[in-house]
Amino acid sequence: MLSVADVHLSFGGLKALQGVSFDAAAGEITGIIGPNGAGKTSLFNVISGFYKPNHGRILFQEKDVSHLKPDARAHAGMSRTFQNIALFRGMTVLDNIKLGCHTHLRANVWSSLMYFGSAQKEELQARKEIEEEVIDFLEIDHIRKAPITALSYGLQKRVELARALAMRPKLLMLDEPVAGMNREETADMARFILDAQARFGTTILLVEHDMHLVMDICAKVVVLNFGRQIADGSPKDIAHNQNVIDAYLGQAG
Amino acid sequence: MIIGNRKVSYLEDEKILNNGYKKAFVYTMIALAIALPFFADDYTILMASLVGIMLIAVVGVNVVIGYTGLLSLGHAGFVAIGAYSVSIIHNVLGHWGVPDIVHPWVALPGAMAVAALIGILVGLPSLRVKGIYLAVATLSANFIIIFLIEIDTFSQWTGGRLGLTTPDPNFFGWVLDSQREVYVLIAIFSFATILMVQNLFRTRIGRAFVAIREKDYSAEILGVSLLKYKLTSFAISAAFCGLAGAMAAYFYAKILPEQFELALSLQLVAALIVGGMGRTMGPVYGTIIIVLVPELLKIGMGAMMGNSIEAAQLRAPIQEIVFGALIIGFVLFEPLGISQIMDRFFRALNRWPFARG
Amino acid sequence: MQFAQFVINGLMAGALYALIAIGIVAVYKSTRVVNFAHGYMIMIGAYLYYTFAVLIPDMTWAPSWLSSWTPEWVAQARVGAKMFSPTAALYDWIPNIPRIVFGLAGAIIGSGLLALFIERYLMRPLLGQSNFSMIMVTVGLISVLSGFKSLLWTGDAASVPHLTPNPAFRLDFFGTPIFIFGANFMSMIIAALIFGFIVYWLRHSSAGVAIRAVSEDQSTAYSMGINVPRVFAQAWLIAAATGAVAGAVLSARDGVSPSLGLFGFSVLAIVLMGGLDSFVGVFIAAMLVGVLEALVQWQMGGTWVEIAPYVAVLIVILIRPHGLMGQPEVERI
Repeated sequence: MLSVADVHLSFGGLKALQGVSFDAAAGEITGIIGPNGAGKTSLFNVISGFYKPNHGRILFQEKDVSHLKPDARAHAGMSRTFQNIALFRGMTVLDNIKLGCHTHLRANVWSSLMYFGSAQKEELQARKEIEEEVIDFLEIDHIRKAPITALSYGLQKRVELARALAMRPKLLMLDEPVAGMNREETADMARFILDAQARFGTTILLVEHDMHLVMDICAKVVVLNFGRQIADGSPKDIAHNQNVIDAYLGQAG
Repeated sequence: MIIGNRKVSYLEDEKILNNGYKKAFVYTMIALAIALPFFADDYTILMASLVGIMLIAVVGVNVVIGYTGLLSLGHAGFVAIGAYSVSIIHNVLGHWGVPDIVHPWVALPGAMAVAALIGILVGLPSLRVKGIYLAVATLSANFIIIFLIEIDTFSQWTGGRLGLTTPDPNFFGWVLDSQREVYVLIAIFSFATILMVQNLFRTRIGRAFVAIREKDYSAEILGVSLLKYKLTSFAISAAFCGLAGAMAAYFYAKILPEQFELALSLQLVAALIVGGMGRTMGPVYGTIIIVLVPELLKIGMGAMMGNSIEAAQLRAPIQEIVFGALIIGFVLFEPLGISQIMDRFFRALNRWPFARG
Repeated sequence: MQFAQFVINGLMAGALYALIAIGIVAVYKSTRVVNFAHGYMIMIGAYLYYTFAVLIPDMTWAPSWLSSWTPEWVAQARVGAKMFSPTAALYDWIPNIPRIVFGLAGAIIGSGLLALFIERYLMRPLLGQSNFSMIMVTVGLISVLSGFKSLLWTGDAASVPHLTPNPAFRLDFFGTPIFIFGANFMSMIIAALIFGFIVYWLRHSSAGVAIRAVSEDQSTAYSMGINVPRVFAQAWLIAAATGAVAGAVLSARDGVSPSLGLFGFSVLAIVLMGGLDSFVGVFIAAMLVGVLEALVQWQMGGTWVEIAPYVAVLIVILIRPHGLMGQPEVERI
C-alpha cells in the first residue's frame, strides 16, 4: 500500500530523517512512535508531500509519488490530520467536512457560478453522503452548523477526523489523534479509528505518544529516534526490543 | 429561541435565503430596483447606477480579498481593462461593418475574458509568495495598465490622456442611449453578479477559495491545488471588475484613464472593508456607503457653507479623509464591517422576543 | 560616453530610494507591517520642511536672520567669489543655514509626532491581530494623509532650499564631460551615511537586538521582557525621521508636490525587490532601480521612467519570489 524507501531529510545541517524505510500493509493500522523530536511529524510531512526528501522515495499503491504535490497526493487517495489541528476556523463544521469531499466533486467554474443543475445535484448528493456516512458515524450531528472556534479540543480532533474520512481515503494518516485527551475521549477516538478501519477498509498510519493506544490497535509499529529507524515489528516485539527501551528510558550505564 | 427555521430536506437547508427575514429583505430590494426607473428622478438613477457599477466591481474584489484572502490593491486596473476593451471591441466591430445588434454579445464576454486573462497574469506572483508581494504586484499592474492606456503608442485605440468616447450598446434592437436605460442593464448585472458569487461559495470552488484563505496547507492536503485556485480566483474577480468597467463604459459618454487610477482601487477596497470582507452582502452595504458618503458630504457642506468655491475646494480633500477614516475606523472597531452589524440585527429579529443579540 | 553620466545620476537617485526604504524596512522588521502610506508620510515631511524652511521664515513676524542670515563676512566673501564657482555656492548657501536647520527640525519633529500618533492610536490597538488589518490601516492612511495635505497646504509646487551647497561640477571622464550637482552628490552621501548608521545601529545596539527579537516572535519577545510597544514606536520614529530627511531632499530636488506620495510606491516596489527584511538587498535594489530609471530616461524618454520600478519589481518577484536577498519564510506545519 504505502512504502517509504530509504528517506533522508535535512534542514540545513540538521538531519531530521536518516534512512527511514518501512511498508504499511493495506487495511492495517501502522503506528509510528518515538521520543519528541524523533522526526515523526517530519516523516508525515514527507509522505504527504510538504517536504521534499533529500534522498529516497515514497511509493503509494506501487506508484512513485515522490514528485507529486500534496494536492495531487490527496487526489491519489491520501488524507491526513495534523498534530495541532488544521481545521478552517472561520467555517462551520459542515463546510469543513464538505471540503473533505473536494476531490470527489466535479463542478467547474461555470457550473458553480450557475449552481442550478449539475452543481446543485452534486452538492446535495455530497451533503447526503456526508450526513449519512461521516456525521452520523462520528456522532457530531449536533454541532454541524457550529463554527470551529466554538468547539472543544476533543470535538475539534473528531471533526478533523471527519474531514479526513469525508475524502474516503485509501490511506489515512493521523498525527497524534489523542494528544491532550482524557481517558474517555481517548477511548472514543480509538473506537472511531477502529470503526473507520473496519467499515471503510482504510489503511491507517498513526503517530502517537499514547503507548497504550498504539500497543492496543496497531498491527505494526515503527520506532524512530533522532531521525533513525531503530526498530519495526509487531507491538509485542517492539515492547521487548532493547533499542526501543534504551531510547525511551535512556541507556543504562 | 430561533423559530421558523425548521428544514425537512437538504435542499431546503442548502438554500441561500434560508429564513423569512432574509427573503423579505432581498425581495424588497429587487422590487425597489425594478420600480426605480419608473418613478425616480435622474439624480436617483445616477446614484443607483453608480452603486450598481461599483457593486459589480466590489463583488469581484471580494472574491479575491474577502474569500481567497489575497490582498489586491490594483483592481481598478481590471475595471479599466473592461471599460477600454468593451469600447475598443465595439469600435473594431463597427469598423468591420458587423451589425450593431451583435456588438454587445461579443464585446461584453470579450471584455470579461481580456480582464480575466490579465488577472491571471497579475495573479501569478500570488503562487510564489503570499500577502504583501501580491498587493504590490497588483498595485504595480494598476500603474502599468493606466500608463499603457495613456501613452501615445496606443492612443489611436485608447484615446490616450484625452479619454475615449464610449458606445451605446444595442440589445435586441433597443439602443441604450440614456442613463435610465443603461441603469436597467446595470441592475440586472448587479443582481446576477451577487447571485453567481453566492452560488460559487456553496460549491466546491468557492469553498476551496475560503480554505486557501483560512489555512493554505490544510487546503492542499484536501486536494485543493493552490496554483489552480488562486489563479481561478483572480480570473473570476478580474472578470467581474471587467464587467463593471464595461458597464461604466456604457453608462458614461466618455471614459478617462484617470478614473481608473489608484484612488478607485482604494475605493473598492474601502467599500469592501466597510461592508464586510468575505460576506455576500458586504459589497452591497459597503458600496452604498462609499457612493453615498461623498454625496452626503456635498449636501452637508452645501448646507453649511453655501455653494462657494471654497466649499468646492474643501470637498475633495474632506472626501479623501473620510474614505481613509472609514477604512481605518472599520478595521479598528468593526473589522467584519456592516455585514456584522446587520447580522446582529437579523439574529435579534429572528430570536425576538425571547432573546437579544 | 553619456552612459557614465546616467549611471552617476542613477546612483544619486538610488541613494535617496535607499534612504526612503529604511523607513519601510525598519517598520516591517519590527512589526511585520508593510507601510503602504510611507510615501505619504514623506510627502507630509516635505510639506513640513517647506512650511518651516520657507513659509514661516518669510512671514513678516519672523526674525530676519531666520530667512537670510548674512553676517558681514559672508556678504563680503560672496561679492568676492567668482560666479558659479563652488565658493560662490557655499556663500549662497550659508545665509540659508538657519532656515534649513529650522525646516529640518520642524519636519523631523512633526513627522515624528505623526508617526507616534499613528503607532499609538492606529497600530497598537491591532497588536496581536492579523497584520492584514494593520496593512489595511496603512492603506486607509494613504487617503487620510493625502486629504490632510490638500486641506492644509493649498499652494502647489514651490522651491525650497537645498540642504547643502549646490555648486555644479564638471568632471572629465575619459574625455567626456560629466555634470554633477553638489546638492545631489551631498544628498547621496547623507543618504548613504544615514543608511549605514541605521544598519550598524540595528546590528549592534541593544535596541537593535530588541527590534530583531520582536520581528522574530512578538509574544515571545514580550514575555522575555522586551518592551514591544516601545520597539514599535522606535521603528516608526526611525521611519519618520529618515522619511522627513528624504522629504526635504526630494522637495529641494523636485519641488514640493503631492506626487511625492506616489514616489513611496516605487520605493515599496524596490523594497520588495530587495527582499523586505534584508537591508543589503534593499540597498542593492535601490541602486539598481536608480540606475535603471536613469538609463530608461536616456534610452526611452522621461514618460517611461514612472513605470520602470513597477515593471522591474514584477519581473523580479516572478523570478525570485522573495526578492534579491530576502529569506523565504519556512513554514512550520
